[in-house]
Amino acid sequence: MMPAIMKQGKWTPWLYLLPALLIMALFIAYPTLNTIALSFMDRTSTQSAAADCVAGQPCWGVFENYRYALTNPEMTQALGNNALWLILMVPGTVAAGLLFAVLAERVRYEKIAKSIIFMPMAISFIGAGVIWQFMYKVETGGGQQTGLLNAIITGLGGQPIAWMSTYPVNNFALMVVGVWLWAGFCMTILSAAIKGLPSEVIEAAQVDGANAWQTFWQVMIPLIMPTVVVVFTTMIINILKIFDIVFVMTGGNYGTEVIANRMFKLIVTDTGRSMAIAVLLITLMTPILIINIRRFNKQEELR
Amino acid sequence: MSKFSKPIIALVLIAMLAAACATPAAPTGTTAPTSICGDAKSGDKLSVMYQWTGAEEEKINAIFKPFVDQCGIVITAESTRDAGVLDTRVKSTPPDILFWPTTAPLTLYPDKLVDLSTVGAATGNYAKYWLDLGTANGKQLALPAKVDIKSIIWYSPARFTALGYTVPKTFDELNTLVEKMVADKNIPWSMGFESGAATGWTGSDFIQDLLLTQQGPQYVLDIISGKVAYNDAGVLKAYETYKKWAADPKYTVGGSDGTLNTAFLEAIYKVFQPTPEAMMVKQSGFAGGEIVKQFPTLVYGTDYDFFAFPGAKGMQGGADYMMAFSTSAAAKAMLAYLTGAEGAKAWAQTGFDLSPNKLALGQYTDPQLIKKSEALDAASGFTPDLGDTIPAPFGDTEWKAIIQTVQGGDIQAALDSVAAAQKQALGK
Repeated sequence: MMPAIMKQGKWTPWLYLLPALLIMALFIAYPTLNTIALSFMDRTSTQSAAADCVAGQPCWGVFENYRYALTNPEMTQALGNNALWLILMVPGTVAAGLLFAVLAERVRYEKIAKSIIFMPMAISFIGAGVIWQFMYKVETGGGQQTGLLNAIITGLGGQPIAWMSTYPVNNFALMVVGVWLWAGFCMTILSAAIKGLPSEVIEAAQVDGANAWQTFWQVMIPLIMPTVVVVFTTMIINILKIFDIVFVMTGGNYGTEVIANRMFKLIVTDTGRSMAIAVLLITLMTPILIINIRRFNKQEELR
Repeated sequence: MSKFSKPIIALVLIAMLAAACATPAAPTGTTAPTSICGDAKSGDKLSVMYQWTGAEEEKINAIFKPFVDQCGIVITAESTRDAGVLDTRVKSTPPDILFWPTTAPLTLYPDKLVDLSTVGAATGNYAKYWLDLGTANGKQLALPAKVDIKSIIWYSPARFTALGYTVPKTFDELNTLVEKMVADKNIPWSMGFESGAATGWTGSDFIQDLLLTQQGPQYVLDIISGKVAYNDAGVLKAYETYKKWAADPKYTVGGSDGTLNTAFLEAIYKVFQPTPEAMMVKQSGFAGGEIVKQFPTLVYGTDYDFFAFPGAKGMQGGADYMMAFSTSAAAKAMLAYLTGAEGAKAWAQTGFDLSPNKLALGQYTDPQLIKKSEALDAASGFTPDLGDTIPAPFGDTEWKAIIQTVQGGDIQAALDSVAAAQKQALGK
């Protein structure tokens, strides 16, 4: 029987939660609702979005901003580019992280290697964008190449490549910057997962005659799969809102436009459209977030 | 944690806070007020917002100094280039005085801005075309405070004389000169419009100068207001002329790749570096300062100089406009100062580009500014930079069209998409 002093009132848990709930309501719930409301209004945020309709062109009435977000050629290019980033960069980064995690374990200078690979995470994305701009620079007049990559290419006798302005090379060039930034993050989390594997299982596999490759694919990966899924979903969320790299290096030109860049460009002058793009982003991310939360709950249950 | 980590972390945090809380230097004054100060009393506060930083901010502070010394007004300045920050400020507590490089605030906040002619600004000191730039709905909501001319071409007089070239006075002479340079195996133009998210603006300036030459200033003003659609035949002609020069490696360094990938500052340097790669670069007045910063041994007049874009009827330029959100006594005093004789003199002598104030004429001390002010005076009118004046979605599409043109895309299709954006942005 609990002593009276330890009994909690019905409302006590809510009182403990109240400060957090208030902050969440003010800084998350209210802005989200406001964003959704603004996405149905026109560019001056004073009337319904239908006021932005231009005569002689298709109009979706109050969903006019969503028509822009889904059908405008700039937006479809941005959506396509984000999809390209998702397909190429997410597996690329996770694979790179996994590779580094496994390889780093086997060397004596493991700590140094991991620190070096993790260092790019310490730079802001804008800083990384500026650094790589120097790497990708191209000198067209016939003077010496000052960009590292083009200097190597011309040193080996080739023709310099205009990395930033040639489509589709520029998309891949930007993705390389993304992988460089995020591989360290993936590596750290996956490395922790790998270290947490019971060594008996690995040894048992080796006793059974599995070589390193088989051990890796058929024993280690399935065991760390929950962590891999978490890393995957985190990277997907990051790539959906990728902005800094594109903004600094190409400004979205030459076919490298992405969703977040469009939203930023429109936010002051065309608020309605910008908000519609933001709502679109939230909608795209929601399934991923649901998967993530379900994973957490399952792991909590397992404890 | 080791014994020292906690104090070190605390020290770092305190240092960061101290750095963040330090306010930018704004002049503080002393003495008794005189006629300019009007009703403003010593110690009145004035909040000012502008985009200038570094050396430019020092210049505007030097211009404010006589005013602050006379009236004792305390100026709190905020510097930002972000339109979003301006938006948030205006919608909460607007700055008393705003200096902004575009007239966008006139369309965004027409109800909050104050009609300058009703608060003591000496509008009589400005030519009509200056006043027109800042007029909206019959009210004088902005006045240009600082002007930089753009329809000028920088070159090296020493090299011109050595190679036997003369400064062209008409557009045909410019064409002949360009062809002569190509025949001599010299590259005439250095063009570069890489500029991160603003890539394309130098192309827009060049095309506007071509429009001023081929069509005239009223045409450009009509494009800005929407009377002339952007896919008009006149614009197409200007684009074709531009493409001929910007996409061909004979006419410009690196051809289209060069134009697209070279940063605008580097394009300026290419004309003046020890082994120059081109003969001319069309760029605004600020290029003079950049040239001497990069190559301090060069002398203005012999090693680098400019001539007006030949044939351009009317001068293209960039202007910073001053606007007021408040009718406080301090704001009125500042407006009276800047639009009057003392402000004009301070502006001219500080050398912060040109002042459209008539009373600044003849007060410049920098030889470059003297020549620029003469060029501006001789021009038959001033056309604001198209790229700065039109609303952002229209401007962005314009830059994209220019990039596509230089890349070799279909010009008419690009112009059509800009015309659609123009229609949408100007609400016609």
